[in-house]
Amino acid sequence: MTYKSQRVAYPYFVFALLLFGLQVVVGLWVGLQYVITVPQAVVDVFPFATSRAMHTNLLVLWMLLGFMGATFYLVPEEAECELAWPKLAIAQLVILLLTGVTALVGFLFGWTRGRPLLEIPTVLAFVVVVAALMFLANVGVTLFRARRWNAVQGSLLGGLVFLAAMYLFGMPFYRNLSMDWFYWWWVIHLWVEGAWELIAAAMAAFMLLKLTGVDRKVVEKWLYVELGLFLFTGIAGTGHHYYWLGAPKAWLWIGGIFSALEPFPILLMLWDTWRSVRERHGRLEPALTWLYLGGMAVLHFMGAGLFGFAHTLPQINYYTHGSQVTVSHGHLAFFGAYALLNLGFFYLAVPRLKGFREGRYDERLGRWGFWLMTLGVLGMSLAFAVAGVLQTYLERIRGEPYMVAQQPMRFWMLVVVLHGLIVVAGVVVTVVHLLTLRPEPAETERAEAGELVPARAGMGS
Amino acid sequence: MTERIAKTIFWVGTLVSLTVFLVMTVHTHRSFDALTHADALDEKVVSGKHAFERHNCNDCHTILGFGAYYAPDLTRAYARLGEDGVRRRLESPEVVFADSYRKMPQQHLSPTEVDDLLAFLRWVSRIENHDWPPQDSPHRWSRSTERMLAGAALSPAAALVEQENCLACHSLGGQGGESGPRLEWIGGRRDAAYIARYIADPEAVSHGSRMPPFQGLSEGQRLMIGEFIVSLAAQRSVP
Repeated sequence: MTYKSQRVAYPYFVFALLLFGLQVVVGLWVGLQYVITVPQAVVDVFPFATSRAMHTNLLVLWMLLGFMGATFYLVPEEAECELAWPKLAIAQLVILLLTGVTALVGFLFGWTRGRPLLEIPTVLAFVVVVAALMFLANVGVTLFRARRWNAVQGSLLGGLVFLAAMYLFGMPFYRNLSMDWFYWWWVIHLWVEGAWELIAAAMAAFMLLKLTGVDRKVVEKWLYVELGLFLFTGIAGTGHHYYWLGAPKAWLWIGGIFSALEPFPILLMLWDTWRSVRERHGRLEPALTWLYLGGMAVLHFMGAGLFGFAHTLPQINYYTHGSQVTVSHGHLAFFGAYALLNLGFFYLAVPRLKGFREGRYDERLGRWGFWLMTLGVLGMSLAFAVAGVLQTYLERIRGEPYMVAQQPMRFWMLVVVLHGLIVVAGVVVTVVHLLTLRPEPAETERAEAGELVPARAGMGS
Repeated sequence: MTERIAKTIFWVGTLVSLTVFLVMTVHTHRSFDALTHADALDEKVVSGKHAFERHNCNDCHTILGFGAYYAPDLTRAYARLGEDGVRRRLESPEVVFADSYRKMPQQHLSPTEVDDLLAFLRWVSRIENHDWPPQDSPHRWSRSTERMLAGAALSPAAALVEQENCLACHSLGGQGGESGPRLEWIGGRRDAAYIARYIADPEAVSHGSRMPPFQGLSEGQRLMIGEFIVSLAAQRSVP
């Protein structure tokens, strides 16, 4: 940490982590409702819909808090000056947390706008807009004052403005259901395959620069290419959500072609990470931070690239659309692309915020967290995929009634929940580890514990 | 690759995609009215959409394939279940799904809300969305339809029993639901005319019956089902 105002990032990370923990715990209950029969009396007061709204909104909230915290950490260092208004950043966090808590409690009492992922009532949505404007003003003024523009800052600020602008399309009430969903995807798709990718690419580039010391010019050059490909495939690729909502048939062509190309920028990102690793100066330390970077590159490609491609073509999507296949892709992609990115960034930033020497820390517990979470989510996504294929075959192809098709899926949802337990364990370990991060033990201590890693140890643990 | 080429890739890629997207957005707006039958989108449908959102239906059900995946897709629910079927599920889910391993919350909808939701779902069911979902497509015979047609050649009444999904509640030969009496049991105790009357309006014959009326069937079809059920009984215990 070089600038005092970077400190405001820490409370963002803390609350992001706590909300992440809550999200996965609620997720267990969401999954369990597919396995067991919940009595009518319980369903009447706490239906699946409520728990699902909580699970998804917690996801959005913790990830946005993570991005914001990361931005507050990254901007002073990149702009080489203090943040414009550190106190405003704290006020903004308080506003967002109060909004989040109000929304979650509100869901329990049926206070909802009833639009998936955008359930928070309009009043609260306006508060979020105010907080977003505070955030953009804070970051924007800092960057404009510094006038040290580079590609990382540009990508980050561009992504943040893009993110905030798209949120507005989710706010009005649309009379026509088809038009409603058309613009719903302007928020959701253009977030995760547009704005969030810009932010993620900037955060990943920043991490590579800090950890490898590779030439900034090379990193930035590839950043331009990645962003170009992300936006080229991502913007028109929104069309893969427009196949079956009552939009013109041309979307089948445009959505199919552009989204078929979506794995390429992610593959480039994977290759970019690999190249930086090879051209780095010095050792791959701290190993756990690298594990996160590598894990993110691989699972981002698997979850978003491969699992996404698997059902993006209209010929396949006709049968899989709106089934558990989508859920499988959603879980692995969000975890691989954005959960690991945020957590990896926390592992980069927290030791520096705490002033540990060279950003090193005691990694032992964190490795358990990483592997439990990663293998848990991977297993969970595969179980969702099996359930999804069963559903596709039984309901969509054979034409069995919905509930008949769901019956054999229940076993696989049990497998999902069991993996969910592993994920929860991993998340608890990771959250505890990050919140109680300690400096690296002295070398002698490590040697005694038989842990001193030789210089050429790879990215694995 | 130079930085100049990299920047060119960025701008060309972004702008080409953005142009395609915006042109298609205009095209979509121009097509929506026809594809969604906007002329039929009246205030009742809009009220129904409000009710649909107020009760957070979309966080269990999908509609147009979007939403949560915990309950059946609603795009063609109106066509699939008919007005009576949807109404029954909205008004008394705790009865309809009493034997189901997955429940629907009783939301105490007002009669106006139920009517609005029906208007909304009726309008949605007519959206022209390239024949999705496949299981409700009138242009594709599902496996169950094929089975039904194969059965119809042998016994039209058995095909009707399958078509109306009687075995969701009644059992036959050890298969089927348990919330209604076994079909063999009914066949041994009732005559065809009684069964036909019962199917037409269960409430009128037996007060408090949990069975829904099947007014969509013709008089002749109901009688045919009655004769089929009577024929199932091995031994008649009631004259």
